[in-house]
Order: sequence, then structure tokens, then C-alpha cells
Amino acid sequence: MDAKIYKSKKYIAFFLIPAFLFMAVYLYYPFIQNILISFQKIKLLGTPSKGFLDPVYKNYLKMFEEIWKDGKFNTTSNLFISLKNTIITIAATMIGQVGLALLLSLLISNIKKGAGFFRVVFFFPIVVSATALGLLFNLLFLYDGGMINQLLMHLGIIHDNFDWKAQVPIFTMLTPVIWQYVGFYFVILLTGISGISEELYEAASIDGATKFQSVKYITLPLLKNSISTCVILAVTGALKVFDLPWTMFPKGMSGTWLTGTYMYERSQANVSYSAAISILIVALGVILSAVVNRLFKTDDDLDM
Amino acid sequence: MRKALALGLVGALAATSLVGCTGSSDNTASNSGADNKDSKGVTIKVVTTYAGEDSNAQNYKDAVAAWEKKTGNKVDDQSATSDETFKTRVITDFQTGSEPDVLFYFNGVDSNDFVEQKKVVSIDEIRAKYPEYASNMKDDLLTASPADGVKYSVPVNGYWEGLFVNKEVLEKAGVEVPTSETTWEEFLTMCQTIKDKGFTPIAASLQEVPHYWFEYTIFNHRSVATHNALPGKADDEQGKAWAAGLDDITTLYEKGFFPENTLTAKDEETFQYFVQDKAAFLIDGSWKIGGIKEAVTDIDNYTVTYVPGMADRKTTDIIGGISSGYFITKKGWDDAAKQAALVDFVEYMTSDEVVSKFAGTSVTALKKGCSVDASTLTALENDAIKFCAGTSGIAGAVEDNLTPDERTPIFGEMAKIVKKDKTSSDAVKEVLDIVADR
Amino acid sequence: MKEKFKISQVFIYAFLIFWSLTTIFPLVWSFMNSFKDKKEIVKNSFSLPFGELFSIENYTKIFENYDILGAYRNSIIISTSVALFVILFAGMAAYILARYNFVGKGILTALLYAGMMFPIYSTIIPMYKLQVDLGLVNNYKVTNPTAQLALTLIAVILPQIAGNLSFAIIVLMSYIKGLPVELEEAAYMEGCNIFQIFFKVILPLSKPSFVTVGIFGFLWSYNDLFTQMFFLRTPDKYAITVLLNNISSREGTNYGMMMASVSLIVIPVIIVYLCLQKYIIKGMVVGAVKG
Repeated sequence: MDAKIYKSKKYIAFFLIPAFLFMAVYLYYPFIQNILISFQKIKLLGTPSKGFLDPVYKNYLKMFEEIWKDGKFNTTSNLFISLKNTIITIAATMIGQVGLALLLSLLISNIKKGAGFFRVVFFFPIVVSATALGLLFNLLFLYDGGMINQLLMHLGIIHDNFDWKAQVPIFTMLTPVIWQYVGFYFVILLTGISGISEELYEAASIDGATKFQSVKYITLPLLKNSISTCVILAVTGALKVFDLPWTMFPKGMSGTWLTGTYMYERSQANVSYSAAISILIVALGVILSAVVNRLFKTDDDLDM
Repeated sequence: MRKALALGLVGALAATSLVGCTGSSDNTASNSGADNKDSKGVTIKVVTTYAGEDSNAQNYKDAVAAWEKKTGNKVDDQSATSDETFKTRVITDFQTGSEPDVLFYFNGVDSNDFVEQKKVVSIDEIRAKYPEYASNMKDDLLTASPADGVKYSVPVNGYWEGLFVNKEVLEKAGVEVPTSETTWEEFLTMCQTIKDKGFTPIAASLQEVPHYWFEYTIFNHRSVATHNALPGKADDEQGKAWAAGLDDITTLYEKGFFPENTLTAKDEETFQYFVQDKAAFLIDGSWKIGGIKEAVTDIDNYTVTYVPGMADRKTTDIIGGISSGYFITKKGWDDAAKQAALVDFVEYMTSDEVVSKFAGTSVTALKKGCSVDASTLTALENDAIKFCAGTSGIAGAVEDNLTPDERTPIFGEMAKIVKKDKTSSDAVKEVLDIVADR
Repeated sequence: MKEKFKISQVFIYAFLIFWSLTTIFPLVWSFMNSFKDKKEIVKNSFSLPFGELFSIENYTKIFENYDILGAYRNSIIISTSVALFVILFAGMAAYILARYNFVGKGILTALLYAGMMFPIYSTIIPMYKLQVDLGLVNNYKVTNPTAQLALTLIAVILPQIAGNLSFAIIVLMSYIKGLPVELEEAAYMEGCNIFQIFFKVILPLSKPSFVTVGIFGFLWSYNDLFTQMFFLRTPDKYAITVLLNNISSREGTNYGMMMASVSLIVIPVIIVYLCLQKYIIKGMVVGAVKG
């Protein structure tokens, strides 16, 4: 990394400014405003502040009480449920999405025919907007006349309609979420794999390594950067996932609140509390991605 | 929550103070437009909810085009379907000084923000300069702002909430259509019979739209005079009525009168049970008539009647009122070049002629009432007219006094309430705690 | 070698085919049902839309009532601009972050990750006010309809660029880090300056990664409902996703029409994607051969 050519730092500002200026104006500045909002009395989006809260940290106190009250976890509060479900989602996406994507991308790099076709097809679900997918999955899981209930009744597995959204809500919610984004991580990982030199594999196979060994000793270590990117994206994605769960499970029904959906719901009713939740989300995200970075820390210089 | 008010609004409220449509053919054209010679060629910015699914969207477009043609002015129309994003936009526009000149909007708590900031002009102030403004309306039917009691908006038409009935389901279950005499006890018995015959008694999504059942079950513990007020405390008379009303909903839920998936289905889904002859009853607003008409092929199979009552509330007492109207904003009013055009626009859009077209046979505040050709009506629409004519009293929806945040502990948590994870009086108390924080 | 892996190849193909079925089927299912009346969908959604089941009424209704082509035009303008600017700006920043060590790099990297976590609902209001101040929203001095449209589209494009940058920089950074630095050194020896190295070495070498980022930028912009709903207010300014939302709130449980509008939205993206796909594969081959 400390190559000679990169000693002179004359022009780096020129390269960095466009991107960071954009983010400063459209992300960081609004978000700082948002921090201020979390201390003020504002109920509806766009209404003026009615001064600071009393005490100013009232929203944060309320958040704390939603998690911990009277010496024990407040397990029925919406925020507690959101955090619990979000942790489940993070675990499920890490195993389900990144794991499956890794498997698929490794498999595909080992076949000769049809790789192009699979690449195209695996990516399909991301092409569709989450809103459209939510509508689609609502039809699949529909109680009365939905595709899955129709199918199961045809096959004689069930005799009455099964209420997916009431009986197995988390499963019903996470299936499409995971399914949609597998292709996304798949593309990132495959791009990473394609960056690994063919000569390494050739050298390995000359040395008598099996396919499995070359995956273990060449592909995986060299993919570390891409995998850690995926894991971070999966974690932050889970923290703010919104469109699909909201289309299928509006207002956290059947105990399906997630941090993203709960924050959105509050933004329609109590803006400053919603602002406080969004700060919690960002804080959790930063902490978790720092942890992931530590775990995957490579020889280079990513110091967070 | 209330959609634009006129989805095929039907029914004349002959009762109390609301003027119904009498079928007269008195088509007095609006007399506005005479005093607008000096305002030729201005462009006014207008935002309404007459867009998207609203069946008056086309009527609105026609009326705007006619007005533009008549006056030579232009309308920059930014109407949109009313939902939460739309409301946010309206409020944000006021905040950033980009509000329209004329706004057709809800006149309940939704309007509090811009009213409190004096960003709209009151009818009295306008009348001081244009004495004829809204003179075709009954003054006592113009809704005052809940923020300061002043009247700002000129209405087009109103709404009512009633019990829609699928007659075929009742017939198969061997149950008569509830009448103006039916009591709540009798209603429960009917529901039981319907359920025993294998049908769903009530189509409702408690998860998404518990509002109508909330209104009527509470109404059942109050009266026309006392319904439309917030409780002061959770354990005062009003607070107890709210809790008792919620408990009635829990009873209906426990008896299995709602669809099995009432806590997970969308309102659209449960509505399908009603129009597919699987469910018998549906409480909804007058705007639903249009939706039923579109969804079914045998509209004669449906009727509307009163929600059975108890105690002080007569079965024929209903929930209804006028909940939106045209506002002129301060910004537009202060623009001398536009002022006359704005007044003229609102006068035109609320003239007898235009209101009649929008309202069909519905509730209006017109002094003369509006005109309608009864021969074009469906059976359901005719029943709706009878429904309105037989009304003994009308009360405004009490939920309109609550902001979205204040509604959450009840409307957002119906699942917890009916499953008894949260007591009804705690829910009421949570609402009042937030109200106290205003 | 080849014979040795035959059995495992069968399993590999079986699994890959299984997964492709799960991704293709729902879309095919919805396309299939877009030609049916809503009552048929709830009754038999699996039968092919032939004979009396077949009807293009859902589509004719949409084209009659909504300005689909105008919405496509707006969407393409917005999403293409977003993708191009994201590629350029993110590429530049990622290159520096991947190759240089400098004071404040840790902070910038932390800001990147934080930027990815800001939910749009928490930034929209201050951002909205800002755009009003900048004259992009509700600018009454601009009366020419084309100029108005342009301003409105820009008001959507700018925040969307900002929203995509974090992700793009992170992905590009990890890719550029994986490139052998020797090539850049060679270019440097030949007298290239940092700009030339970026455009002549980094950009071509990272092509697959840039295309990936560009595609995501395009898609997210295309599918981002919330920003579009906030800034695109009148039907002549609608982009395609807002239009779908509009149709779905209007047509509710008319499943057939929902399927048709889903199809109308998805098909062009798939076509665009299929065209670019060739390009990606080419880019990947370049990437693979380069070492």
C-alpha cells in the first residue's frame, strides 16, 4: 500500500471532494438536523418545533424505558420487539443471504456451460422494486386464494386456509427479504472471484490441489474483502430494511416490528421520537460494522 | 385517514341540520365570475385531494377547465391522492413558504398547524371584502377549526358512516336485514346465527381499519350530544365509555364475528369477503358506495342500514359530518394580483351547480340543496337516500379530534387490546397521556 | 479432470437450476396472470392464460388511463444520470481511499459506513427545505414547462446520487484494493500522473466493478419510491415507480391490473439489464485475464 507513487498527496482532495461534498449536503447535514430534531417537540413531519423537550433527552429516556423497565426487559414494547426481530434478521441474512450467495458464486465459478444464464437469472429479484415484490408476495401468501394456500390444498397437505401472516409471521416476512437480496451479494462475490487470477488456480492444480482445496486456500482468503463488504451490507441493510416488510406487514402486525419499520411508523406520528430511533439505528450500524471489520481485519490499513 | 370525501357519495341527510338533496331541478348557475374582469390572465396554484382513486377527479378536472375557459386564468394544479405522504407535503409546503394559493383539505386537526400559524384566511375576513363569499352555504354547517373555533374552509360535501349489508348472505343464513329498531343485543344474536351457518358475520380488518367500529361502539355508550368530545381522564364518564366501547370490540372478536385473519388482513382483503358473499356486514363511509358498485355485478344485493344501538344512542343516530373544504392561503390572499381570482375560483368550485355535480345525492351545506336525477341511481344509492332520510341525529367522528400520534395506542394496537395483552382502559389512558403533552 | 467432477457437476447444476426456478417463477407467474381477469387469478393462478382466460384488458386499461411512456422517459433520465454520476464520483473517491494513506482517512471511512445507515425518512425534511432554498423545488420564477420538468428531475437526481455514493465507494474500494499495484507503478514509471493512472489504469481494470455499481445505482434510483413521491408531484413529472404506486392505491385488489403494472415496470429493466449483461461478462473476462 505504501507504493512510492502514492507518497505525493497533492491531488487527493480533488478526487475526494465531489463525492464527500454530495454526501455532506444531502446526508450529513440533514442528519445533523435530525439529531437536533430528536431533542425537540415535533410531532408531524414538516411542522415547526414547539421548543425543546422537557427534559431535553426525553426521547432517549423513552427509548430506554421501551427496552428496560422496572428492572427487567420490557418484552412487550414495540422497540424491544423491533430490536429482537432485527437481530433475528441480521442472523438470518448473514447465514441465508451471504452464505447462499457465496455457495452460489462458488458453484457457478466451477461450471463451464450456462454460467452466463445463471448470472442473469439470479439477479432478477433485485431488478423488481421492493414495493412491487411486496404486492407479489402478498398474493403468494394470501389467506384466501393465495398461490401457496391454493397449491397446498391441491396437494392435500392442508384442508383449511393457513394464515401465514399470523402463524409464522417472521418466516413469512424474512423469506422474501432474503430471497430478494441473495442475487445482490452473489454479484458482488462473483465480481470478486472474477478478480482472482486464473494462474493461481492453474499453479495449484499443477501442484495437485483438488477443487475443494483451491477454494479453501485460494478463493476464500482472497475473497475476504468482498465477504466483509457483504456482511457489512447485510447488517446495515437489516437495520433499515423497510419497503418489503412494510408492504407485507404494515404497522408491525403479528409482532413483526423491525427497527426500520418502527422508525417509519413513528415518523408519521411523532417525528422527534422517530429521529431518536434513527440515531439508534445509525449508532448500532456503526458499531456492528466496526465489529465486522475487526473480525475480518486484513493485513491492510482499514482503521476504524 | 378519511379519503377525499366524495367517492360516489350518496344519500340525503334530511335529518337535523344537514340539508339533503331533494331532487329539485333548481339549477341556479353560480353568479360568480361577474367581478373578475380585472384579474384576467393570472396563474393560481391549487392543491386538492381530487386525484387518483377519487371518483370526482374527473369532475374536478372538468370544473377547473370550465373555470379557466370562463375567466382566462390558469390553474397550476398539484392535486394528489390523500395519504400520509400527501399530508406531509402539504404541511412541509406551508413551512417552506411554498404553499398553494388555494387548498382543498381536511378541516379537522389535520389543519391545525397552518391555522395556528395564521397561514390561511378566515371566511369572515374574506367576506369583509367579498360579501358574497360562500353565501350559498348554511353558515352553521361551515366547520370551525378545532384549533381556534374560526371558520376557514368552504365545504363541497360531507360523509356518513353506516352498516352495509350483503343481503344474499343474510338470506342464506336465515336472518332479516337489521332495521331502525334493531338493538345491539339482537345484532349479536344475528351475528351468532350467521356464524353458525358458516359465514363471517362482519367484514373488518382490525389490524388496518378499526376506526368505524371504534366510533360506533363508543357511540353506543354515549349519545348524539356527548359523543364528539375527548375524555378528560381515563376514568371519567367519557373515558369509561371509550373503554367500554373497546371492550365491545373485544367481545365481537372473541365470539369470532370478525374474519379469522382480521388481525393480519388488509382492509381490501376483508372487503373482498363482503363482496364475494362470504361476509354479511361492513361498517364503512358513504364513499364506499362507489367501491361496492365497482366490485360487484349485482349491486341490488347490497343495502345500507343503521348500526344497531343501545342505551342513549338510538339506532337511527349516525356518525357523519363535513370534514374538508376549500381554504384560501394568506400567501395567495396577500397577492393583490391574484386575490380576486382566488375568491372567484373558490366561489365557482363551491357554487350550487358544481357542488351538485360533485355531491351527487350526498350531504352538502347548500341552502338550496342540490339536484339529482333519481332515475340514474342504483338500489344501493336509493337505500342510502332512505338511510339518510330516516336519521334521527348526527354526531361528528370523535377520532377527528386526535392526531396520528394520539390515535396510535388504540388504532395501532388493536391486536394487543382484543387479545387482552393490554387493557382497554390502559389504551385510553395512553391516548390521553399523549394528548396532555400537546 | 473433467470426468472426475462429473457427479459433483450434476449436483451443482441441480442446485443452480433449483435457485433459478425460484427467481424466475414468481416473475413469470405475475406476467402470466397479468393477462387474466382478477377473479381468475384467485381461482386458478397456475393455468396458462390461453383461450377465454386470455385478455389484454389489463394493459389497455393502463395505457388508456396513465401516461406510461412519459413516466418511462422520466425514469430513464433520472436513473441514468444517477448511475453515471455515481460511477464517476464514487470511483474517484474509492481510488484515493484504497491507495493512499492520509490524515483523516479513518474518519472519512467511518463517515462512509455511517452514510449507508441513514434512513431516507430521517433526512428527507431538512433535505426538502434545502432544495427549496436552492430553488430546485417550487421555483415560481421558472415558468417554461420543460425547464420546470428539468428542475424537478434534478431535485430527485441529486439526493439519489448522494444516497448511492456510500455503497458504491465501499464496493469499489474493496475491488481496487484487490488490484495489483504493480500496473499503476509501471504507468507511473512511464510518466503518467495520477489522473492518467485513474482513467487509463484503474477505470479499465475495475470495469466489472464499475458496471456492477452503475447497475445498482440505476436500479435503486428506479425503484426508490420515497424520494420520488416527495418531489415528483404532478402526473407529467411522474416516474414509473410513482406511477405503479398510484395505480396500486387506485386499483387496490384488482390483482390482474397490479400484475400488469408490475410487468410493465419490470420488463424494461430486465431488457436494460440483459443488454448490459454482455458488457459485464466482457468486463469480467478482462478482469480475469489481466493478472
